[in-house]
Amino acid sequence: MTRTGSSRRDFLKYTAATGLAAGGALSGRLPAALAAAGGTVTLADIGVGDPDGDWSRFTNATGWKVNLVAIGNAPSTVLNVLVAGGGARVYDIANIVGGMQKPLVENDLIEPIDTSRMPNWAKNSYIQQFLAQGKPGFEFIGYEGKVYGVPTVLQGDSFAYLPDVTGPLDSYAALFDPKWKGYVALEDNFTTTGQKTALYMKQAGLASIKDPADMTPAEIKTVVDFLIEKKRAGQFRVIWSSFEQAVNLLVNKEVYVLDAWEPMVFAAQRKGVDAAYANPKEGFLLWAMAAYIPKNPQRPKERLDVTYRLLDFMLGGWYGAKIALLRGYMTNPQAPAYAKAHPQEFTADEAKKVADIDANVKRKFEKGGTWQNRWPTHVETYESEWARFKAAR
Amino acid sequence: MRRFVPGRRALLLLPVAFVVVFLIAPLALTVAVSLWQRAGFWVKPALSLAAYEQFVSGARLAVLGRSLQAAAVATAIGLSIAYPIAYALARHLSAAATRTVLLLFTIPFLVNYIIRTFAWTWLLGRTGPVNSLVVGTGLADQPLDWLLFSDFAVYVGLVTSYMPLMVFPLWISLSGIEQRLVEASWLLGAGPWRTFWRVTVPLSIPGVFAAVVFGFVGSFGESAVPIILGGVGYQLMGNAITSALDVLNYPIAAAMSTAVVAVMLLFLACWYLAFDLRTFLGKILRWRF
Amino acid sequence: MKARPAARAAMLTGIGLVLAFLYLPLVPPVLFGAGGYAGIRQNPILVDAVRNSLLLAALTALVTPPLALLGAMAVRELRVPRLVLLVLLLPLFVPGVSMGLATAVFLKLLGVTPSLRTILLVHVMWTLPFAFLVVLAAMATFDPVYLEAAYVLGAPRLRAFLDVELPLIRPGLLGAASLSAIVSLNETIRTSLVQGPLNTVQTYIWTTYLQVGLSPSLHALMSLLIGLTLALVAVLLVGKGRRGRVVTG
Repeated sequence: MTRTGSSRRDFLKYTAATGLAAGGALSGRLPAALAAAGGTVTLADIGVGDPDGDWSRFTNATGWKVNLVAIGNAPSTVLNVLVAGGGARVYDIANIVGGMQKPLVENDLIEPIDTSRMPNWAKNSYIQQFLAQGKPGFEFIGYEGKVYGVPTVLQGDSFAYLPDVTGPLDSYAALFDPKWKGYVALEDNFTTTGQKTALYMKQAGLASIKDPADMTPAEIKTVVDFLIEKKRAGQFRVIWSSFEQAVNLLVNKEVYVLDAWEPMVFAAQRKGVDAAYANPKEGFLLWAMAAYIPKNPQRPKERLDVTYRLLDFMLGGWYGAKIALLRGYMTNPQAPAYAKAHPQEFTADEAKKVADIDANVKRKFEKGGTWQNRWPTHVETYESEWARFKAAR
Repeated sequence: MRRFVPGRRALLLLPVAFVVVFLIAPLALTVAVSLWQRAGFWVKPALSLAAYEQFVSGARLAVLGRSLQAAAVATAIGLSIAYPIAYALARHLSAAATRTVLLLFTIPFLVNYIIRTFAWTWLLGRTGPVNSLVVGTGLADQPLDWLLFSDFAVYVGLVTSYMPLMVFPLWISLSGIEQRLVEASWLLGAGPWRTFWRVTVPLSIPGVFAAVVFGFVGSFGESAVPIILGGVGYQLMGNAITSALDVLNYPIAAAMSTAVVAVMLLFLACWYLAFDLRTFLGKILRWRF
Repeated sequence: MKARPAARAAMLTGIGLVLAFLYLPLVPPVLFGAGGYAGIRQNPILVDAVRNSLLLAALTALVTPPLALLGAMAVRELRVPRLVLLVLLLPLFVPGVSMGLATAVFLKLLGVTPSLRTILLVHVMWTLPFAFLVVLAAMATFDPVYLEAAYVLGAPRLRAFLDVELPLIRPGLLGAASLSAIVSLNETIRTSLVQGPLNTVQTYIWTTYLQVGLSPSLHALMSLLIGLTLALVAVLLVGKGRRGRVVTG
C-alpha cells in the first residue's frame, strides 16, 4: 500500500500548506506591496490617467509612492466602488470622466476641492476658459457652486469613419444614413449616444427637442423609438462597449461609420488604417475627466496634503504631456510647452504630437458644440428606455 | 455504529456556515432592498412591490427569457460535446492520454477570458480568417454576417467558455462506474446501446448534474460574452442588472437578482422532485443507519 | 477494456477537433503579442497584478477543496443532504454583479476594509460550488462499505478516512483544486467590487480593454502563459514516457 501512504503524506502536506498560506494571507503580511499605509497615495483610475506606471517625478519630489488601481468608468462601477465597496476609505483620488458630482455629492462620497492648494490650478487657462463657474463646462467639475473635481483631461467627441469607403462625412446623419446600412456601430451608452442622436434629430427637424443634453421623458422616448426603427431596419452592426472593440471595428473594416472617441482613430491609424474623425456641423460633444477626492474623515492630514500635491502634479506639464502622448487626449495648457522645453524627456517628434493634440482639441472647444451630460434630470428614463432599445428585436 | 467525535459536526458545518454568513446574509439584504423604496439616491425601508412590477412590465423581463433560452441551448450543446469526450476518456483511452487531454482542456482557461472571448471577433469578423476562407473557397459569394454579433457568436462564446468545465465532473463520475455492472448487463444479454442507456447513463447522473449546473449557471450569469459577441443590444441578466445599477436603481437591480436566484432555486426544486436524490448522490446516501 | 485502434483513432480525432476549436481564440493573442514581451516587466501595475492573481489562485486552490470536501462529507453524514446541497450551490445561482455588490455592502456594514482578504473571501465563495460538485461526483463513486470495513477492523475515523477513502477520491480533490484555481484566475466582476487597493490581472485587463485598449504586453503576457504551460505539459509527458520505458525496460 505504498500508494496510499504517499497520498496520505501528500494530503498532510497539502493541509499544512493550506493552513500556512491561509494564515499568511489573513494576517495580511504576504505581499509587501499591500502594506499600503504610510507613504502611499492610492489613485483609482479608469486607465486614462496612468502614465505607464512612471510616478518617479512625484515620488522624488514628495517621498510618497502612488498606487494606481484600475477601475471601470461605468457609473455603476464608480458608484458601487465608492458607495458599497469601501472605496472611500481606500482611495485618495478617483480619476474618472467627470459630471458625476450630483450622485457623488448627494451620497456624501466626495469632498469639495480647495483649489488654492494647487499652484497649477491658477495657471490652467483651460479651466478659466471652459470649466470655470458660470461656463457650461462647470457641470463636469462642480456642483451647487462648489468645485469637486480637478479636470485632468479635456476632449470633444464626434464619430469616426473610413474616408476611402464613405468619402468625407460631416454630419451625425451618417450614423443613420441607409447608405451605410449594416456598417454602422454605436456606443452602448445612453447619455452619449442618446445625446448625439437627439442632436441630429433636432437639427434635421425630425423631432422637436428642446435640449438634447437634458431631455424630457417624452423626448427620450421619441429618440429611442427612432433608434429602434433603425435597429429593426438593420442599420447597426453592433453597439460597442469598449475601446478595444471600437478600434477593432475600424481596423478590421467591420463597419465604416462608428460613433467613437478620437483616440480610437489614432489607434486605428497606428495599425495602418486610414480612419478619420469627423468635424460634424452639429458640433462636438464636449467633456472632461475629473479627479475627485473621496470623502474619508479618517484620512490623516498629511495624506490629504500629499493628495493635493498629487492633484497638482496631475495638472502639471510633465504629467499632462505624458498622458496626452499616451492617450491622445488634451490635458493642460502647460503640456505642449513642457514637452518642447524638455528634449531629454520628450523627443521632438513626441513634443510635436503633444502640441498637435492640444491644438486639435482646442479647436474643437473653440468651435463648440454641446457639453455631454452624464447625469441628466431624467437619467432613469434614459436607462430604462435604453434597455428598451437594447431588448427590441 | 455511528461514533461522534466532538467537534466533528462543527467541522462538517463549516462550509455551510461560511456560505450562510458571507452569502446568505448579504443576499437577505438584497431581497430586503428589492422591497424597499427609492429615496433620493439611496433607498428607504418599505414593503413595496414596485421594483418587481417595473421589472415584469418593462423590457427587462424579455432579457430574463432570453437568458434562460441562451443558457439552456448552450448547456445542451455543451453536454452533447462534453459527454462523449468524458465517456471516451473514462472508458476507452489510456490513463496517460486521459491526463494529457484533461490538461489540454484547462490550458485555454489560463488566458484571460475577455481576451479569449474578444479573439472571436477577429476570427469571425467580416474580414476575419473564417470569412476569408469561406469566400476564398467559394462557399459563399460574400462574407457571412451572421458569424459575428449574432446568436451564433454568443453560443460559440458560451460553449467554449463552459463546455470544458463540464468535461471534468462527467469524466469523474463515468470513470467511477464499476466495470462489473456494465459486464453484468452484457452477460444478461443487453446490447451495448441498451447497456449504455440503462446502466452507464443512470450511473453517471451525478456528473451530469454537476455538468448541467456548471454549464447552465455559467451561461446564465455570463455578462462579457453577450456584450462582446452578441448582436445590437444583446444582453443577458447580468448586463441588465449592471445597467440598472448605472442609475443607482438599487431596488430594481435587487429585484432582478432575487428573481434570478428564485428561478435557479425553482430548477433545483424540480430536480429534487424529478429525481430521487439517491440517483444523484449515488453511494453517498447509502450510508444511512 | 480498450477500444479497437480504428475506434480509438476516431475518438482522438474528435477530441482533437474540439480542442482545436478551443485553442482557436488563443491564436490572436499570440499574433498580437509579438514585441510586447519587454513591456510586461516595465509595467509595474501589471507585474503587481500578475503576482496578486497568482497568489489568489494558489490560495483559492488551497482553501476551497478542503472546504468542499467538508461540505461533501456533510451531505453524507448530516440528516439534511438536500439542504446542504442547496446552500453550497447557492453561490453559483447569484448573478456575479449582485454577489459582488451584496458582499461589498455587507463587508462595509461589518467595517471590513477591502484588501486581499476580501478578494480571497469572494473567490473562495465563488469557487466553492465548483469544487464541491467535483468532490461530490468523485465521492458518489466511493462505496462507504469500505469505510465500514475499516471501522470493523478497528481503524479510527481519521485513519480510515486517510487510508481508505482519501486515495480513492484524490482525483476529485485535485480536480477541485485545479478547477478552483482556474475559476479564480478568470473572476473579474465580483473581484472588482471588493478589490480595494489591489489590481488583479483580470480587473486590470477589463479596465484597459474598456477604456484605453489592450497593449501588446497584455497579449504577450497571455501568449507567455500559454507557452509556459504547454511546455510544462510537454515536459511532463516526456518525463512520464521516459520513466515508463525505464520501468518496462
